[in-house]
Amino acid sequence: MYQKKNLHKPFQFSVKRFWLYLILIVTSITMVIPFYWAVSTSLKFEQFVFTNPPQWFPTPATLQNYVSVFTKVNFDKYFFNSVFVTVTITLGHVFFDTLAAYAFAKLKFPGRDKIFFFLLFGLMIPFQVNLIPLYRIMATLGWNDSYLALIIPNLTSIFGIFLMRQFLLTIPNDLLDAGRIDGCGEFGVFWRVVAPLALPGIATLIILTFMGAWNDFLWPRIVLNSESLFTLPVGLAQLQARNTSNVAQIMAGTVLAALPMIIVFLFMQRQFIEGMTAGAIKE
Amino acid sequence: MRAGTIHRQTLIRTFKKSAMAYTFIAIPLLSSIIFLIIPMLVSFYWSLTDYNGLQPAKFIGFQNYNQLFTNDKYFLISLRNTTLLVLMGMSVGPTLGMITAILLNQKIRFQSLFRTAYYLPVMTSLVVVSTIWVMLYNQNGLFNTLLNGLGINSVGWLSNPKIALVSVAIASIWQGFGFETVVFLAALQSISRELYEAAMMDGANGIQQFFHITLPSLRPVIAFIYIYGIIGSYQIFDQVFVMTHGGPIFSTSTIVFFLYSKFQDLRLGYASAIAYVLFAILVVFSYIALKMEKD
Repeated sequence: MYQKKNLHKPFQFSVKRFWLYLILIVTSITMVIPFYWAVSTSLKFEQFVFTNPPQWFPTPATLQNYVSVFTKVNFDKYFFNSVFVTVTITLGHVFFDTLAAYAFAKLKFPGRDKIFFFLLFGLMIPFQVNLIPLYRIMATLGWNDSYLALIIPNLTSIFGIFLMRQFLLTIPNDLLDAGRIDGCGEFGVFWRVVAPLALPGIATLIILTFMGAWNDFLWPRIVLNSESLFTLPVGLAQLQARNTSNVAQIMAGTVLAALPMIIVFLFMQRQFIEGMTAGAIKE
Repeated sequence: MRAGTIHRQTLIRTFKKSAMAYTFIAIPLLSSIIFLIIPMLVSFYWSLTDYNGLQPAKFIGFQNYNQLFTNDKYFLISLRNTTLLVLMGMSVGPTLGMITAILLNQKIRFQSLFRTAYYLPVMTSLVVVSTIWVMLYNQNGLFNTLLNGLGINSVGWLSNPKIALVSVAIASIWQGFGFETVVFLAALQSISRELYEAAMMDGANGIQQFFHITLPSLRPVIAFIYIYGIIGSYQIFDQVFVMTHGGPIFSTSTIVFFLYSKFQDLRLGYASAIAYVLFAILVVFSYIALKMEKD
């Protein structure tokens, strides 16, 4: 009882809590410093990047590096490519994964469980195993070095279907039957009844897909040759590889590549956390 | 007559319904077969051939595998490096995640602010994180200037072959442990308060509570974290590509990086064999995961 009362006192000063906050603050700062350093460096003139002692605030500050990643390097193109590819892939997942998940969760058809089991087996295959034949398939189709190679093989995922199926199983069948009685076809039931109820699950799916596609590196690195098609990670890695001297400019590119994800995260933090823990913790 | 009509109607309806269901799953199913299952099988066949993508594949049995394990020093180094990265990552990451999650689970102010700090690098791309760490690890970079300020000599973080692998591991741990923090925190919050209250009534102290309530309740989550952590770490590539390109002198080459370089050399059969070795390693860990989940 005594302890409980104490816990509710605001700003209770004890040695234990002092250490607790100290550790939390020090570790959090450790996490943020590299980001801070990237932003700070991106605003410096190149000759002030590596100074001793380190220059914590850019003096004098400049936006020149941000201008030059757009004028001397094609970051505007990388940006567009990343957005276009990621958004298309995400839309594909939302539509195809959810629709397939609906069939697996709510419709009865011959071979359903066998097909689902077959797909689950596919979930185990690491991407590196498919990489080379997939590259050859793209070459045969003439899709390498185009958006098609980035998008078409990635329009659906077994993981997404699995995730959405788990979610759709929780929607009561009565609601679907009500929809059918009202004269909806199966697609109508999916579109008018299931999809709106599945929105929280779809939010999770969107976040996981968006994050995976936005950050993807190995596959785009392999299929893309033309610089005009590079996504942000590929463009950034190339900038880093060929331009070791101009660190401030690389950091401007780095900040631009990181910013969209961080902004999305700050606005959708709850969904992010739920999405990322969805696989680990069963309710 | 009437019974027959009804029967036919239900048959048509079932067929219509099934046809609809098959349409719904058609694209994901086709996509999985064309882009997943067929490549997987082809990849296995290629791993048994000498193939460069230009001439037809020549069947050579298990020679690629044989060469990998008996006659390719650099593959064995890459395998060892990857295993060391997994060991370093797994011995620090989940523990850090657990400690930070327990700290965050106290009654504290700004909980979500701290959580955001730990989580920030997790959703940032590995390429972004790696370019930042290349700058920090620079010979004249922040880490060395801070060390010099303390009177310690500069460290060749990425240029010294004895240290480079550890540097890659440090950056990877920094990038990834926030995921573990968030997962453990969510798991901790789902443990019933009543368990702790009962233990307190019995006079159990904090450490006893941790070992008798917290740890056992977290067991499935801990298993998940380690297994998926191991599977993920064995596939490490982006950091190595950006930070070191496998160097210096192969000291940071990993399985996937080695695969990538063989792919670039157009040794497609050989690269496929490397992919299957990786697959075998991951299957072993997945099998362990399945076993543990059943317990």
